[in-house]
Amino acid sequence: MSEPAISVDQLSKSFGPQQVLQDVTLTIPAGQTFALLGRNGAGKTTTIRIMLGLIPEDSGTVRLAGIDPTKEPLKARSQVGYLGEDQTMYGWMTAIELCRFLAPFYRTWDMAWARDCLARFDIPLHTRIGRLSKGQSVKLGLVVALAHRPPIVILDDPSMGLDPIARKEFNRDLVEHLQSSGCTVLYSSHLLDEVEAVADAVAILDRGRIVRTGTTDLLREEVKQILLPFDSVAGTPHPEGLLDVQRHEDRLVFITDRAGSYVEQLAAEGVDHDVVDLSLDEIFEAFVIGRTQDWPDKPANPVATTI
Amino acid sequence: MYIRIERGVSTPISRQIAEQIRAQCLAGLLEAGQCLPSVRQLAKELVVNVNTVVRVYERLAAEGLVEMRHGEGTFVLQPSAAKDLAAGLKQQREQFSRDFQAVVRRGLLLGLNVPELRRMLTATASDAKSQISKENRSEKSS
Repeated sequence: MSEPAISVDQLSKSFGPQQVLQDVTLTIPAGQTFALLGRNGAGKTTTIRIMLGLIPEDSGTVRLAGIDPTKEPLKARSQVGYLGEDQTMYGWMTAIELCRFLAPFYRTWDMAWARDCLARFDIPLHTRIGRLSKGQSVKLGLVVALAHRPPIVILDDPSMGLDPIARKEFNRDLVEHLQSSGCTVLYSSHLLDEVEAVADAVAILDRGRIVRTGTTDLLREEVKQILLPFDSVAGTPHPEGLLDVQRHEDRLVFITDRAGSYVEQLAAEGVDHDVVDLSLDEIFEAFVIGRTQDWPDKPANPVATTI
Repeated sequence: MYIRIERGVSTPISRQIAEQIRAQCLAGLLEAGQCLPSVRQLAKELVVNVNTVVRVYERLAAEGLVEMRHGEGTFVLQPSAAKDLAAGLKQQREQFSRDFQAVVRRGLLLGLNVPELRRMLTATASDAKSQISKENRSEKSS
């Protein structure tokens, strides 16, 4: 097995008394497109900033192509193209001036390719960056992140602030220019239907902890909604991967991880049940805001009389 | 090749793409010998992961609908009668399963409970069986 392009092990970080990351562990094989999903404040940007060596971790390790970014920041950065969440670029420069300015910082800067990208992305070369549209400046950010031809690309919420058409174009560029050329891509997002189409695998980050990783197909296969008649809950075991429980009239509606084995168990016991496929959106929601305290441990609860 | 992907639904994207290509092969919209778009081309067009398209093409190749020729591309195969039949049968069974689900759902919404539905299924199945065997007998005798 080859070395993973990105590996993060047991990363923890606090800002003052507030713990923002707790034991974050990720392994991203070379060539994979990996999406980090989470709500605002879940810790996506902090994770990325630590990975790049921009802020120090409290504990844990990061390796980018085997390099420790805290020990060898320059070497690590030569392996990575990075587009920040709110990339600020010198507004008074033009796109081409920015490229000329940045080129000497990188040994592998490919100016011909950068110009080619600028042309393909329709970025005006001689307009000041401050006057570019949001979409144009994100794309310019991508060009300067990629111009040194890094094998790893890290994008922090690249589609934030882009309109739907620009987002689709952006995703198309990602598929066409990064995936097809074997780059490893890590990006954060909260636009799940776009992520689903583009990513190989995802990690769900919630309040500083990774609550689930897996390929999008695997998540869909393993996380299901199950409907049970309320009366038959008494004899059924508490699902191990329970994520969300709701009661609708005389039915218990719940979402569980590792649904396959649970459904087998239900079938073996002859309990009537429905299994519903979920969208990635619904799966994400179950992981980050699912409530499990309503699982009826004592089904003889008098609440049943309110129907 | 026209493919439309619905995003944010519970049907995985790979299945959506595979079903549409399969349907077009079986309907003859995609003719035998025709070259499908390259993996990269289709991924770019649909804005989906390159590996998703690879998986779809591999699945269709396993079903015998297309052939991936190394270095040349992916080509629609002449559906052989047997394969055609098998694929057609599979598709019809899938359709039946969807219809059946809809019927069951309607029954539940109409207030029938599962034991009642089960009784109906048993009764209907035995009726249908005897009817089918009667038809077979009369076919043989005529």
